[in-house]
Amino acid sequence: MMKKNSGIVMSAFMALSMAVVGCSQPSASPTPAPAPAPTTPEVQPDNNTPKPGGTVTFAYRSPFKGLLERAYYEGDDDDRILRFTTEALIGTGDDLKPFPYMVDWTVSDDKKTFTFTMKNKDIKWHNGDPLTMEDWKYALEIIAHKDYEGSRYSNVEMIVGADEYQKGTAKEISGIKITDPYTMSITIKQPTANFIANVWSYPAPKKYYEGIAIKDLVNHPKVRQNPIGTGPFKVKKIQPGEFVEMERFDDYWQGKPLLDGVVYKVIDGKMAASLLKNGEIDMYTIQNSLYDDVAKIDNIDLIEVDELAYTYIGFKMGHWDAEKKLNIMDRPKYSDKRLRQAMAYAIDRKALAKAFEKNKAEPIHAPMPPVSWAKAPDSELNTYDYNPEKAKQLLDEAGFKDVTGDGLREDPQGKKFTINYDAMSGTEVAEPRAQAILQFWKEVGLDAKLNGGALKEFNAFYDMVEKDEPSVEVFSAAWGLSADPDPAGLFKATDLWNYSRWVSEESDKLIAEGVSEKAMDEAVRKDIYVKWQKLVNEELPSIFLHSRKEITAKNKRVQGTHVNSASPINDTHKWWVTK
Amino acid sequence: MVSFAIRRFLAMIPILILLSVTVFSLAKLMPGDALTGKIDPNNANPEYIAKMREQLGYNDPVPVQYVKWVTGFFQGDMGDSFVHKMPVTQLIGERIENTVMLALASLLITYVVAFILGMIAGRWPYRWSDHLILTFNYIGYAVPSFFAAIVCIYIFSIQLGWFPASGSISVGAQEGTLYYYLERIKHTILPAIVLGLFNTAAYTQFLRNDVIENASKDYVRTAMAKGTKTSAIYNKHILRNSLIPMVTFIGLDIGTLLSGAVITETIFTYPGLGQLFIDSVSSRDYSVVMAISMLLAIMSLVGNLIADLLYSVVDPRIRLR
Repeated sequence: MMKKNSGIVMSAFMALSMAVVGCSQPSASPTPAPAPAPTTPEVQPDNNTPKPGGTVTFAYRSPFKGLLERAYYEGDDDDRILRFTTEALIGTGDDLKPFPYMVDWTVSDDKKTFTFTMKNKDIKWHNGDPLTMEDWKYALEIIAHKDYEGSRYSNVEMIVGADEYQKGTAKEISGIKITDPYTMSITIKQPTANFIANVWSYPAPKKYYEGIAIKDLVNHPKVRQNPIGTGPFKVKKIQPGEFVEMERFDDYWQGKPLLDGVVYKVIDGKMAASLLKNGEIDMYTIQNSLYDDVAKIDNIDLIEVDELAYTYIGFKMGHWDAEKKLNIMDRPKYSDKRLRQAMAYAIDRKALAKAFEKNKAEPIHAPMPPVSWAKAPDSELNTYDYNPEKAKQLLDEAGFKDVTGDGLREDPQGKKFTINYDAMSGTEVAEPRAQAILQFWKEVGLDAKLNGGALKEFNAFYDMVEKDEPSVEVFSAAWGLSADPDPAGLFKATDLWNYSRWVSEESDKLIAEGVSEKAMDEAVRKDIYVKWQKLVNEELPSIFLHSRKEITAKNKRVQGTHVNSASPINDTHKWWVTK
Repeated sequence: MVSFAIRRFLAMIPILILLSVTVFSLAKLMPGDALTGKIDPNNANPEYIAKMREQLGYNDPVPVQYVKWVTGFFQGDMGDSFVHKMPVTQLIGERIENTVMLALASLLITYVVAFILGMIAGRWPYRWSDHLILTFNYIGYAVPSFFAAIVCIYIFSIQLGWFPASGSISVGAQEGTLYYYLERIKHTILPAIVLGLFNTAAYTQFLRNDVIENASKDYVRTAMAKGTKTSAIYNKHILRNSLIPMVTFIGLDIGTLLSGAVITETIFTYPGLGQLFIDSVSSRDYSVVMAISMLLAIMSLVGNLIADLLYSVVDPRIRLR
């Protein structure tokens, strides 16, 4: 008996010590190894000083569409190619704040006219044409054109005259004025705090596209086969659905890139770990479920950043009136705030992250990216830490009591209360994750079941949620977050995508204030958003679950990379390889 | 035979109409549409989605949508892909070459391997060689193709490095060079083997059983009595008779091979029709889904017709009326 016990203790200790070893290993690699005896002096600089040459293979898990003009691209698949070949005039920093990159700007006194000047007058397109403000104006005109079929009009419509141009009643967008090739001013309809963050700032090569009608542009060979940009790499060969071969652009405005070229390659996600291991691919954003497999590979570094997205459990509290284009809060089942809060307290989000996300997800308490400058500090918010006792207490207060004695609570009227829960299928953890959430609620005495007894496929799920099907009550979904903290689009009374149908005058007021003229002062704007986050955190129209980590695997030979929440591909002209 | 072919061809018309109704309604019954996946506040807004739905005709009455699609289809206009933003005919044109190449390669592998194995097993039945082939066949039958694909990639491309794991061509291969064509073949072999494996098993067994059956027939006994060499009997007389059912399979294979490539192409990231089909289903790119389904259905019909015609060509005893 004793022997057996000590054996367990022993093995537990071994496991612990192994874990410690496992932990200390990665931290050892960044610190440079003690300098070896100076017998081989030429070996050392190899790994520390950037040197030109070599190619990097960047992999992605689904075939790209090949819409290689910024005004038309839609998904991450094409974005990752375009990140090597194109650049925006206005940059976005690691804290998601816009900053002057290729252009600088000043604002007029009425805060309506922005004058942009090109910081460098020597920027060239890949075909040698100079980049001028005409190219930016042209890009805005493509998007505002009546034949344009992409989805970016919301990035242009704030400009004076854009609507007239789209309707075809004006020949020019009156709010755009070019004074010289490197200076352009944009006048907007009303002072808006997030104009700089929202305005479309990818130029389009006007001269290169000359003579192409807008309706033909999207499928033109100059977009599909020979796209150009101003970025550090230019497209050499496109093999549709398979790979894009890119080569160094020697005239890049920030200096000649170090790499000779980049290959963007489509792979099957299931093979990712093996391909990383044998060096066939150098960089890849992995699915979190692969984390353990990839972490074991010696030649791979893993870079973690917070994803610009969050998962949530929404409560259906009303319906969308398509006539009035308004959310009407008329479903009382979850209207008691205490019930919603109790359901939040009942869920152990840390345990969920550990069980289903390999611990690569952080609980969030309000819908704001963790890296954003506008995020309210956790100390200002209720963090809804796992607390079943508190949940039970809140339910008791709200009148949800077990009157029939079956261990499950009835609603305040004494009628049977069952939570109808919806979630999406698609991953291997979707089912156990949904069951775990149902179980958490059952533990505080709330009866919960899957709506229809099964998970729903992505399209079917959103179809039902958007149409406010009567059976949809509580649903688990996710949203991507934009770099700008403005919550409009998802939380206002007039937003179709406000799937909770939660309407709050105060929230609407704060959202409007957040983009108003006075919010052009950043401190004021942050203050408004902190207030808004506190409101949403208290009212809880949805239980905010996690913001996941996005994990990029990188071969150790690739150096100089810069991964942030917006993308794993930044500053590509500084990338280099050790061999 | 000509009148038979014409009659069969005419009989295909009602089937085609029925098929088009089925394909169309099944596609429309899928929940969501091409714009469901665009629900993303960063890249679109509800106004854009509503506008596109109207523009794409998703709000028209269903019969109107059907008539529009079907008239377009039979005039060779399959509509535009919403996801790829190009005409479906162009999109399919880009991909079909790969799929046809894969199908032909796998057909070749199937027939060559089945021919050799079937002859060996049939000539010396119930010996160790026959048992070995039988075992191989059962494995070929039983292993699902997605599993076979992953095992093949793991062994032959990752462990041994003989073949590339994915794609149809290597980075840097210049079109028109010898290297380019060799690379194409190299990329096709592995998926072709996986795709051909299942059929190989079936055909081998067919051929074996047919050879055994023929071996006990009168004409074989006569040949033996005449003193013809055993190898000549097998390789000439029996083979010719046993090939009849095999040849007719070619017609049927045309349809099944193209649709069978769906899973294989996805795993090998081999950009053909199958991969396009899967992607289009999950992104609800209706026009592409419907076009490929119709194409596959038509292929099967034509394949059946060819099979029937081949029967009478290979075996004059079969009269078509």
